Amino acid sequence: MARTSVWRSAAAAAVLALGCTENIAAPASCPGLCPSGNVVLADTLLTAPITSDTSVRGYVLVREAGYLLTSTMDSLKAVTLIQFSRLLDTVWYPTIGTQTDTAYIGHTDSVVVFIHVDQRDTSVHNLKLLVYRLPANFDTGATYASIAPYFTDSTLMDTVAVPDTLQAGDTLSLHIANNLTIPPADTNVISIGIAMTAPSPSAFSMQSGAPLTSTTAPFLYYYVHAKAPLDTVTKEFSVEPFFSTFVMSPAPGPPPSGVLTIGGIPTARATMYLSLPEVAVDSTHIVRATLLLNTLHPASGFASDSFYIIAQPVVRDYGPKSVLYPDSSVSGDVVLHEGQSGQVSLDIAPILRFWGTTVGDSTPRLIMLRAYPEGSVLGSVDFQGAGTGPGSPQLKVTYVKPYHFGAP
Amino acid sequence: MRTVAGALLVAAAAAAWPAPARAQDSVFGIRGLGFLDTGVSPRSAGLGGGDAILDGESTVNPAAIASWTETTGWAAGSASSRSFEDASLRSTRFPLFGLTAQAGPRLVVAVTASDYLDRNWSVAQTDSGTPVDSTLVVSDLTRSLGGVTDVRFAAAYRLTGLALGAGLHVLTGSAETTVLRQFTSDSAFLPFSDQSITSYRGVAASFGAVASPLPQFVLGASVRVSGRMRAEAPDTTTNVPMPVEVHAGASVQPMAGLGLDATVGWANWSRSSAALVAAGQAGARDAWSVAVGAGLSVLRLGRRAIPLRFGYEWRQLPFLIPDTSGALALSEHAVTFGFGFTAAGGRATVDVAEQWGARVAGPLRETFATTQVGLTVRP
Repeated sequence: MARTSVWRSAAAAAVLALGCTENIAAPASCPGLCPSGNVVLADTLLTAPITSDTSVRGYVLVREAGYLLTSTMDSLKAVTLIQFSRLLDTVWYPTIGTQTDTAYIGHTDSVVVFIHVDQRDTSVHNLKLLVYRLPANFDTGATYASIAPYFTDSTLMDTVAVPDTLQAGDTLSLHIANNLTIPPADTNVISIGIAMTAPSPSAFSMQSGAPLTSTTAPFLYYYVHAKAPLDTVTKEFSVEPFFSTFVMSPAPGPPPSGVLTIGGIPTARATMYLSLPEVAVDSTHIVRATLLLNTLHPASGFASDSFYIIAQPVVRDYGPKSVLYPDSSVSGDVVLHEGQSGQVSLDIAPILRFWGTTVGDSTPRLIMLRAYPEGSVLGSVDFQGAGTGPGSPQLKVTYVKPYHFGAP
Repeated sequence: MRTVAGALLVAAAAAAWPAPARAQDSVFGIRGLGFLDTGVSPRSAGLGGGDAILDGESTVNPAAIASWTETTGWAAGSASSRSFEDASLRSTRFPLFGLTAQAGPRLVVAVTASDYLDRNWSVAQTDSGTPVDSTLVVSDLTRSLGGVTDVRFAAAYRLTGLALGAGLHVLTGSAETTVLRQFTSDSAFLPFSDQSITSYRGVAASFGAVASPLPQFVLGASVRVSGRMRAEAPDTTTNVPMPVEVHAGASVQPMAGLGLDATVGWANWSRSSAALVAAGQAGARDAWSVAVGAGLSVLRLGRRAIPLRFGYEWRQLPFLIPDTSGALALSEHAVTFGFGFTAAGGRATVDVAEQWGARVAGPLRETFATTQVGLTVRP
């Protein structure tokens, strides 16, 4: 009996506990039941928010890029250079019937390079890739001019028509030779160069597999027959690139002074120190902060392509090797399209809010702008730097005026 | 013994519940000092609050604790569902805790904590406009959590046919107001939020008496005198004069198994009006309250009596509601039903009350249904 009573008492308490769901948000019925305070927005335009800026190129080098470029554009000519790893495995152990035997390479039936398409201008048809034989140990520091002599008819190995239906991610095979002769001095190393032709200037890129060699990198396949008496046995060997890059003309140089260069390859980043009034650095009251940048000329890149520009705060200023704040939510970004020009609006409110927090308060008022994904897009843009006249960067800040809660 | 321990366990669990002790919410809590609570126990709430002036668990009359003859603790929970315009609102609160003990053959002391002013409210607004350079659709959520708790230290002395009591009230608490604006039409705008905490403190004293001039007739009266309540926010401080509250009531048992109760109250909240107006509020008015109830002791389940309670309460709420044509006066009325039963071998009592009513201020109308459960333990 007593136990029953306790359970009843406990049940009463449980009913209360289970009922603790809250829904107290009522619709506003003004003026009677509206809050006394109002959220009031205000704008302010900072015409000279940047005290100093600079651009540096070389964050992602050409050989580290995620793509390998060939181009015949007037503004950029490029060819791809690939040195494949040495073919080490020339012996294998096939099982014939119930016996395992030792086989040696008798002769090579064919040598094929498989590439994965990265980007192409689909408006250009009848595009062809030209595969050239390069010296096995070509100069990895070669320039477009120094490597050009090797792109001649005498070294041409294959011409591959690129189907108009070929899209990014598709695989294309480049047939190099049937029975390839590799001089002993080359120690089973093959290097190739890839160029392109098209009825009109265009560009074509393939995936490099960088930064770590992946299955999307160009792979070289040897299809071989074994020596007699196992000459009916076939085998394929594959080797990955040992070194791959592309060379360009003109080669991008260091960004000029007074220009904020972002993107391209080697990739460039721009950093800018901001001088902000107190109202612009607040942890809660800023709702929008737009950096207004003016292009010097249309954004470059693959035809009809686009890329992001991302702004991140710098937590330690070590010049070009400054440390960025890793939280992706504390950033701003904007999409740029190839050919885009004029004013670009980049929202950086999360960065200003970060500077208003206890963590961000001690960090420099320094932001870094870079292309994204960096090293995987060709796109590049030049903005007017600070102190270059009417087109200099400006910052528009929208904030909430102090909210009056009132008392009681 | 095990039964008593179990009942104490239940009481302790209820008392330790992490939610703040707040009474039923109201959309009208946004105005003035908040929504004024009654300090009425679930047992008395079943009677509409008609016997609140004589009820030892309620905080209306300090002399009423003289009815306790042994150490007793009590706690109450309240689940409320409300409708306002198209919105259905729910909330659960724990508005009352108390403990009393015998300090002598005739002296009883008690400490209670009850809701006094409830400042739990939340308002959602959607708007559109061009406040800066682009057209925006915004949604605002303004929310207040907290309120003012009345902590009372009371003592009562029993005389023959008469009990006198006095209480010292400490008003304490805080309300955290948060505003959140989201820009639903433009992701370039980050949400804005801000918050402010207003703390409250004040003191009051109450005096009361309970007399039984006739065997089946009990009278009670109390008066509560308050000083100023200080409301302190980060950017402003307001001192609000608090009212003198007077309550009187009676209970009569005309026949066996039937009790009739009534309590009338008045408070001169108009003395708070000037301070409220200066703070941007619409002001306050004097407020009356009337509560009547009837209790029936005819139902039994086995050997256990199940008292049934019926009641009606009407009261004026002191804080005015601003309106385009001036200010609206708010009033509340409700019908009530309740019952109770003993448990744990008579060591615990559970009281349940249900209220159905409405709060009306001009065209604004909030309907509510509230379930209150009280647990009284005598270890």
